[in-house]
Amino acid sequence: MPSPSSDAPAQVLSARGSDAPGRGDAAAGFVVRASGWILAVCGAIGLIAAFTLTVERLRLAEDPDYIPTCSINPILSCGSVMTTPQAEAFGVPNPLLGIAGFAALTALAVAVLSGATLARGLWLTIQAGLTFAVGFVHWLFFQSVYRIDALCPYCITVWIVTIAAFLYCTLRNLASGAIPLPHRAKPLAATAIRYHGVLLTLWLAILTGLVAEAFWYYWRTLL
Amino acid sequence: MTRNLKISVALVAVLLVGLLTVALVSDPSDEPAAAAETIAATTAGDSDDASAPAETGATVAPVLRPDSHRLSVARDGRVTLVEFLDFECESCGALYPLMEELREQYDGRVTFAIRYFPLPGHANAGTSALAVEAAARQGALEPMYRTMFETQAQWGEQQESKAPLFREFASRLGLDMRRFDRDVAAEATAARVLRDQQDGTALGIQGTPALYLNGRELTLESAEQLRADIDAALAESE
Repeated sequence: MPSPSSDAPAQVLSARGSDAPGRGDAAAGFVVRASGWILAVCGAIGLIAAFTLTVERLRLAEDPDYIPTCSINPILSCGSVMTTPQAEAFGVPNPLLGIAGFAALTALAVAVLSGATLARGLWLTIQAGLTFAVGFVHWLFFQSVYRIDALCPYCITVWIVTIAAFLYCTLRNLASGAIPLPHRAKPLAATAIRYHGVLLTLWLAILTGLVAEAFWYYWRTLL
Repeated sequence: MTRNLKISVALVAVLLVGLLTVALVSDPSDEPAAAAETIAATTAGDSDDASAPAETGATVAPVLRPDSHRLSVARDGRVTLVEFLDFECESCGALYPLMEELREQYDGRVTFAIRYFPLPGHANAGTSALAVEAAARQGALEPMYRTMFETQAQWGEQQESKAPLFREFASRLGLDMRRFDRDVAAEATAARVLRDQQDGTALGIQGTPALYLNGRELTLESAEQLRADIDAALAESE
């Protein structure tokens, strides 16, 4: 099914809310155009992070005394995170899933950037993958902050790019109509699209606040 | 500037100001002193933190973490003996000469690691662990560990704080004393000790010394038994 990114915003335009006319289509157009870049950049960064984590995990497996490059201090330490059961949630090291997922995401996003038109089903598949990823990442966040009590810098990188990719993929699919919405929900979607940056900032700010609170005793010693 | 951008920038500003305010308002001076007490108060039976790993459905705490302290390191890393210890515990002090002997005997073949497990019944268990951890932060783990056990009779089983004596030990070892004082008081040092203790609690350790050979708990019977266990582990790993 053709859904060229250039004329995609049509769906939400017809249903924008009471806000200033014209703003909504501009925002939807921006989100659709920017999402290709955001998915490509997030995918590439995520791929590098997952790849590095896998290499570090292999080194640690070879030599139990190996100190991973991201083990900076007791809190910022991926060595202690990597060796937990949570680091192999599905029986294999998590970064392996990351390598596969981020590689696919990057490839598809680069294709979109170079003018390819993805079928609606493919966009929905990406959406499904990112929805799973964002859920998984929040489980990992919870485990890392409240159970393992350590943060791994590469993992944090993966959290951030996954959240950004999920958010912009979702907004893009809402703007293009790939995700069907009941009529009444359309103004809400239009508002979300218009304030895409606020959503991302708020999301990351909440997580930053939780990390700051959980490791407060430690951050304070750095002052 | 679009409203989207304005609100986003404002959010970031609010977050930064908020964090900075809390950082400046919260008083760091009152908490570090309580660190040693916190450690001492966290009894082995305290389920608060110990239950955490269990809840996740994960396996129990790791016997050895990547940042656990190693006194000796095996070249091939195949056999590891981990001791959960309390510097004030007399049995640990009694085991110490044997451990030193074993470290010499199995030098390069067995990794010997220690983990803090200060017991609540000992007034200076937490204080001594903090002092050793602070020394470890300056690369003086082994000499401080030795000093603690070699002088145990002179400071153990007493009620008053031996922090000044431990400070003297550190000074005699030629440590940077300003840094030592800061590390002893730092929450991160206490957190490091507490994490070892929590792992031990989660593993079900009731007393010290508790020995784990390649992740398996050992029952300490005699020096011969311990040597035989290590030899068996070495033979197994060939």
